[in-house]
Amino acid sequence: MKLEETMQQRPLAASCWQVATSLLACFLLSATEAAAQQPDLTGVWTTYNEPGQAAGGGRGGGPPLPLTDVAKRKIATYRALVEPTGDTPGGFCLGTGMPGSMLGSGGYPMEIHQRPEQIMIVYEAHNEVRRVYLGNRIVPEADRLPGRNGHSSGRWEGNTLVVETTHLVEQVDQRYAHSDRARIVERYHLEKGPKGESVLVADMTMTDPVFYTAPVTAVKKWAQVPNGHLLPYECAEEGWIKHLEELEKKAAGAAKESVR
Amino acid sequence: MKTIVLSSVLAVLACATLAAHHSAVQFDFGKSTAITGVVKKFIAINPHMQLVLHVKDAKGERDIAFEGHSTNNMYRAGYRDNLIKVGDTITVYVAPLKDGSDGGYVTAALTASGVRFGARSRAELEQERLKAEGQK
Repeated sequence: MKLEETMQQRPLAASCWQVATSLLACFLLSATEAAAQQPDLTGVWTTYNEPGQAAGGGRGGGPPLPLTDVAKRKIATYRALVEPTGDTPGGFCLGTGMPGSMLGSGGYPMEIHQRPEQIMIVYEAHNEVRRVYLGNRIVPEADRLPGRNGHSSGRWEGNTLVVETTHLVEQVDQRYAHSDRARIVERYHLEKGPKGESVLVADMTMTDPVFYTAPVTAVKKWAQVPNGHLLPYECAEEGWIKHLEELEKKAAGAAKESVR
Repeated sequence: MKTIVLSSVLAVLACATLAAHHSAVQFDFGKSTAITGVVKKFIAINPHMQLVLHVKDAKGERDIAFEGHSTNNMYRAGYRDNLIKVGDTITVYVAPLKDGSDGGYVTAALTASGVRFGARSRAELEQERLKAEGQK
């Protein structure tokens, strides 16, 4: 009986094995094809300007944003505070935060390191870093902490990298101000410029029921810098040196006093 | 003289960068003034280079402190390590302070070895535009 069962099970097991192998092969093949579709964004990128476009990547300007009354009040209050002195977050060595970081980061270049499970974006200005997690690396919602760049989850749709950013803190100190309810979706794809150069195009859509009456969209283009390098940017160094100079002056003054 | 020719792209980009992270209300970026002096102090840092020049002019002899574009922007506009040393005689191109006092925001420099680095100011770009129009 046992023998019969075994004899009957063997063809079944063999069939199951064949099906499983085929499925695995299909999965691996499709995964390989998907990986082959995904472009490698690794490298250094700087602001791309369309031929004939003024330098600066079209920063600022544009149509007025569809701000809610709440947002208008908060932004007006903030501007009344800083306009007399011209203070900015960067003046205090604070990074731009999303979406300002992905829309230009003060005109400085950025560097992308791409792995299947995580993409690192380093913006030279203020050494601002974004981590885009993919697949199993995506942090569960309950374990995320809010911040100026929020939490970014990525996925590939063909050759387009789709990044969704949530868990942002309210920021009235950038052009695209937003509340902590903001949700930003970036869609990255590669194009070729007129000289055959690689251009990374980022289409951004931000929705925020507290700050905006309609989705806000923007496009940022980055040109690849062949064999480019980011430079160090220790923003706090200037303040530290000035602080030491002040301490030296005080110490010199104290020494003079003690001589008297 | 070895001259590093800079694109207007870089110039405007550098100005945009300045606006992005620094309060610049005290500087007049519509003007560009050339000031020559001996370097007493120079620190190539971000977000703003620090410079003290010993200057002799019609107002007398004194030390003037300047700040300027970030080292990173200057690097991409031709600056390299050791181009400026204490004791060098250099010329800086600055956006002067609006109140007319000593100092300013360094946008470019001509070093003792004849290397010019930095961005052309809006005033310089405007002068070049007018010159080009005059030549038409």
